Amino acid sequence: MVFFPNNAHFFLNEIEAWRFSRINPRGKCGFSSLAFLVALLFLGPCAGRQAANLLAKDNGRAILEKYCLDCHQGDQAEAGQDFSDLGGRLSPITELIFENVATGKMPPADADHPDKGEKRLLLEWLASRSPQVRFPSFRRLSRSEFVQSSNDLLGIRLDLTERIPDDRGSFRFDSNRRIALSQEVLSSYFSVADQMLEFALPRKGFPVEQEWVTNKLKDSHSSYNIYVKDFRDGLLFSWTRANNGNSYSFFYDHFEPPVSGWYELTFDAAKVGDFPETVSLQVHGGKYYFADDRPQPQRLLGVISLDNREVQSHKIMVFLEKGENVSVHLHSKHTFRKKNSNAGGFIRQMRARGPVHESWPPPSFKNIFPGLTTHAEKRTVLSRNESRTNLQKIGGRLTVSSFQPGMEKEKMQDGSNQTFWHTRFHPTLAKGPHFVVLENPMRVPLHGLRYATWSGGNGNGQVKTYSVESSSDGENWNEPIVSGKLETRLANEQFIVFRKPVDLPFLRFLITDSFSIDGRSLASVGKLDVMTRVEPPVPTQSIEILGSTAVELEGCIRSFAERAFSSRLASSDLAPYVEIGRQELERTGDFVLAARLAIKAILSSPRFLLFPGKYSNDSYARAAFLAKVFWRSVPDQKLLEVCRENRLSGRILDQQIKKMMSDPRSRRMVQSLARQWLNLRAWKTISPSLKLYPLYDDLLDHFLPMETEMYLHYLIQENRPVSELIDSDYSFLNQRLAQHYGIPGVFGTHMRKVAFPDDVPRGGLLTMGSILKVTTDGFDTSPILRGAWVSRNIAGIPLSPPPENVKAIEPDLQSATSLREQIDKHKNSESCASCHKSIDPYGFALESFDASGQWRSRYRTRLPHRGTFQYRQQGYYKMGDEVDASGEINGKEFRGVTEFKALLNSNQQRIAYNFARKFFEYTNGYAPDFIQRLELLKMIEDQNGSCHTGDLVRRIVVFSLEELNR
Amino acid sequence: MIDWNRREILKYGLAFPSLPIGIQELAYGTAFPERPEKPKKRILLICNSLGFYGKYFFPRERGELNTSTYLKGFSNPEKLTVVENLFHPGMETSNHDSEKSFLTGAPHPESPHFTNTVSLDQVLASKMGGQTRFPFLSFSIYDRGWGCSWNDQGVAIPPMHDEEQIYNRLFGQEDLTAKKREIRQNQIVLQALKHDLLVLEKTEEKSAVESYRRLIRQLENRLEHEVHWLSAPKPRVSAKLNEDPEFAFSTKVSNLFRLARLAFQTDSTRVITLSLDWIYGAIDVPGASGGWHTLSHHGGRKETLQKLSCVERDILRHFDQFLKEMDQVSEPGGSLLDHTTVVMGSNFGDSSNHTCQNLPTLVAGGGIAHQQHRVLEAPTPLCNLWLELLHRHDIDVDRFGSSVQDMQLLAN
Repeated sequence: MVFFPNNAHFFLNEIEAWRFSRINPRGKCGFSSLAFLVALLFLGPCAGRQAANLLAKDNGRAILEKYCLDCHQGDQAEAGQDFSDLGGRLSPITELIFENVATGKMPPADADHPDKGEKRLLLEWLASRSPQVRFPSFRRLSRSEFVQSSNDLLGIRLDLTERIPDDRGSFRFDSNRRIALSQEVLSSYFSVADQMLEFALPRKGFPVEQEWVTNKLKDSHSSYNIYVKDFRDGLLFSWTRANNGNSYSFFYDHFEPPVSGWYELTFDAAKVGDFPETVSLQVHGGKYYFADDRPQPQRLLGVISLDNREVQSHKIMVFLEKGENVSVHLHSKHTFRKKNSNAGGFIRQMRARGPVHESWPPPSFKNIFPGLTTHAEKRTVLSRNESRTNLQKIGGRLTVSSFQPGMEKEKMQDGSNQTFWHTRFHPTLAKGPHFVVLENPMRVPLHGLRYATWSGGNGNGQVKTYSVESSSDGENWNEPIVSGKLETRLANEQFIVFRKPVDLPFLRFLITDSFSIDGRSLASVGKLDVMTRVEPPVPTQSIEILGSTAVELEGCIRSFAERAFSSRLASSDLAPYVEIGRQELERTGDFVLAARLAIKAILSSPRFLLFPGKYSNDSYARAAFLAKVFWRSVPDQKLLEVCRENRLSGRILDQQIKKMMSDPRSRRMVQSLARQWLNLRAWKTISPSLKLYPLYDDLLDHFLPMETEMYLHYLIQENRPVSELIDSDYSFLNQRLAQHYGIPGVFGTHMRKVAFPDDVPRGGLLTMGSILKVTTDGFDTSPILRGAWVSRNIAGIPLSPPPENVKAIEPDLQSATSLREQIDKHKNSESCASCHKSIDPYGFALESFDASGQWRSRYRTRLPHRGTFQYRQQGYYKMGDEVDASGEINGKEFRGVTEFKALLNSNQQRIAYNFARKFFEYTNGYAPDFIQRLELLKMIEDQNGSCHTGDLVRRIVVFSLEELNR
Repeated sequence: MIDWNRREILKYGLAFPSLPIGIQELAYGTAFPERPEKPKKRILLICNSLGFYGKYFFPRERGELNTSTYLKGFSNPEKLTVVENLFHPGMETSNHDSEKSFLTGAPHPESPHFTNTVSLDQVLASKMGGQTRFPFLSFSIYDRGWGCSWNDQGVAIPPMHDEEQIYNRLFGQEDLTAKKREIRQNQIVLQALKHDLLVLEKTEEKSAVESYRRLIRQLENRLEHEVHWLSAPKPRVSAKLNEDPEFAFSTKVSNLFRLARLAFQTDSTRVITLSLDWIYGAIDVPGASGGWHTLSHHGGRKETLQKLSCVERDILRHFDQFLKEMDQVSEPGGSLLDHTTVVMGSNFGDSSNHTCQNLPTLVAGGGIAHQQHRVLEAPTPLCNLWLELLHRHDIDVDRFGSSVQDMQLLAN
């Protein structure tokens, strides 16, 4: 028995925090007719709000009685909704009535309808009854805005968002004004600011640029290294996944970033094989970890498309942490688990260069010390060779008791445990004792030995017990420093740690017992090296600032603060920041450190975090607002220049908005919108079951959200009709996504606009893999969750909160009763029916898509697996019931997703209205009150049916600017 | 190239956040209270990541602790409860990765894009951590960068695994120059912000300025807390660590238990996690040697089981010793054990098959009216127990991880 309820209702709450407690209208007014409303608009919003109130006062009530109370009254009220006593209170019912009337859901199709004027009167009356809810007139910077803004201000790129607590709580939008700055967030801003400043202006100078070239992989388990082989002058990879389904990555040896920073990786690589698709070269970053069957998850840094049979150089810029490793995974459906394949991805070598800066001196200097002369040494590049072992680095060497030709002592030092040293067994057997002597002529203190067996053979000679002895002459050996056991049949490194460092010139690794299948005395070692503590310091280059006076310092602080606070500043506003900079300069004499301290204070200031743009003219406030909406950041210099003369209004405002929207930084807005509105922020937390969807992989996971972002971006940039949120005949795809959707002829990794063939049921947000995946519960599809998601986020159907103590159902696809029956049962219960009959059909329509976003005609039923889960491409499922994607919404039937989309698009105003509401909330940090909603409705009605996304976004932003001053 | 590991050890040792950010509502405001009259509550949470062989761990007869092969003869049977039939939902394909979710309950940790959630100890530390030098401690016997503790961002908190380092951290003297510089700078910044608020209060909403002022005050308290503990002398203890090179694994386990006891006894912390994980490499315990992981795949073979049981017995022997020593430390109102809830558990129910049903779970001490052996009729989320522990430590939340409700599993 499964004890835990599926948290369907929890999810509902999560999808959109209930706002009944914070419906916010300040409304004291209404309007009698549309024409009058338009007239009033010229009087300004406030005048309108008050004057019109008088007109709507009693008429609204009358209209409600006329059109609604027939059904919604008394004990037998339809859907249990009794409107006869709305009283003076605000209840969820008021919102429900408002939304249902506004979006045309009510009155129902077969009833009498109010005309346009009456409808508006009713809405205004409802608006006037909504209570005043107060919230702060400002909103705090969210953590991602903090990081984005600080990066732009400092001229660096360092994503430290994850080091700041997420303070969103249950609010849908990061921008919500009710989120207060907390102690934890502020204190993490202190430390994140420190880290960013250290990156921008490192105390000990900038590490020099270095260059590595490597063609060598670190050891991996013998059951995986069969998928990579020597090929021409490099390596050929086929595609494999580990037993747990993770991409099995191969790690490059001989390159480890000495400091955190940006590195340019160049892969000299080619496709090998006779197929039209390209081979995807996934580049990952992460700590190397020798694992039997469970590689540690790596960060996917980027994907390179190998489309040419000739070797070409592919460059990718990546951020790596100090000490991380780079690993690769070559994906092609033609080479899955092909051993000794003559197809796959060929990599001749990887070149790494870094840490690199966009310019030299780095942009941070120009940003932080504008106008001051800097003096920088020429940037040099050091070539690094990391292929030496520790023993080689300390000038040591090995001797062995005996060796078998082909299995010489050098094989212990070649960095691979697939090659090995073996004592002589042919033509004669070498007698024991078997040993390896390590010479340490420079007498470097050694902390121990690292040892690995040879991997993949029959285990002959693997060391079972050992002792390590030291000597000053190589002849007379002291008592063992350490002796013990080593694990056989274990391919990863084992460490032999000395109690104290040893610096005698000779060490002897004496094999006292070893494994042998036939009882002969043998010894073998895959890898042997010494442990030292020497880490060469990373040379640095300093940049000198030719500025030293308090006046120059004040200039830098002012310039930074004016950009951060988005204002011109009076001396009194600036004084606290200048003061601590000046004191630090006096105390230390260090100009850069003094500036760092002042900047840290600026980045923790309420002027930056809470109320930017407020210390000069109105244009600055508008600029700060616009930069936050479009760029998630601060205004740039050009925008601030426009503000200087308070010119950011009217035509110039329109121009600037257009400019900002077409700036590449506006992608950040689209990305945030997708994360927050469409809940793609939950992307990484929800993963389809590999038992049911074994083909789901890293590439899909990487590119699916990108499709949605690019599509939204396109709709806004190209001012496409709002109906394309629901349906269109194109999207943005690459080879992997096209494969997933069953579209032939798309090759290569780059995302591009692709027209859908007629027989492909895609187009619009709802049929995107990203949405289909993020609306599952992480294991399988749930029409209830999808239904709730679509009705809230896309259709804009207001839902009452789930009743208390309601028993959630978990759709159980393994059960004998069909899913539909289970849900029907749920629906038949009194308290559930009224909501679920409006939620569920939205989910049923998408039943034709599985949890990975692929088309399906039958469900898959999980099969058990025995013991350890082992990934396999055919998964663990059998085919189950047929999918039924039909349903009925407001009395209109649909037979599948295509008809469903057409049904949604038959009321485009509703789609537009819902988008407008969400975008308004995203922009302003609160849900529009009823009066503001009337404004949004008006914007949509104005456009007469063909509402365009870009226009709507622009108009809402302009409207929001007007509302700023209220 | 960075050479191994003493360096790594040093890194993890120093990187250990003595005052981690991200913990909510850490009670810095009351940093230096009077010694409370009430006994202080503490908690130790242990994950024995390869589980215990169920047939030897669970009592054969319901309610009779003495019918457990492993637990009979424990020194304080009246202070133990074994709970049977607990599990973590969402671990069907998790294999070893289930270990990551032991204290969080986050499902499907095997997913390549898994992000963990906050672990039980961190929630506890957010309430119980403010009055001690270390809000919490996290131990592991193996160096791999993660153990039982995950912060509220689901990021692993690297545990400390080197006994000597832990000992020094708790009781040794440190060089604090960089830390002092950072604190000094933060204090200067707070001063500047306070000055600015005097200007801002003329134009900005009063309530906004006030709440910012409150934040600054909280941070000042927090810095003061740090300064206080920087200057406060560390407790001195006479106990030493064991050294027994023959049984390195066994020694390490007993040392970590000893350090946990000392940390509680000196009130250096009130929340500790201990991750017992030794997947790689051979270990020696009295009576057997071999790879613990290899042995754990016993497949029911007698000989292997015999060896495995030596490892498991050895761990439980040290555990019993720990409980005994804790019980010998008397405090007002009972023993140290009576004021410390100790959980010994695992992410694996059956490590031979890598499955996560019926997790071996033992709760000791904590002043609980123990019932020796409690068998639940239906599989019950382990998070129900976690939720109950939160409630027992005065943390009023409705849910934790996959919890359904506080089932009062420990109420007699």
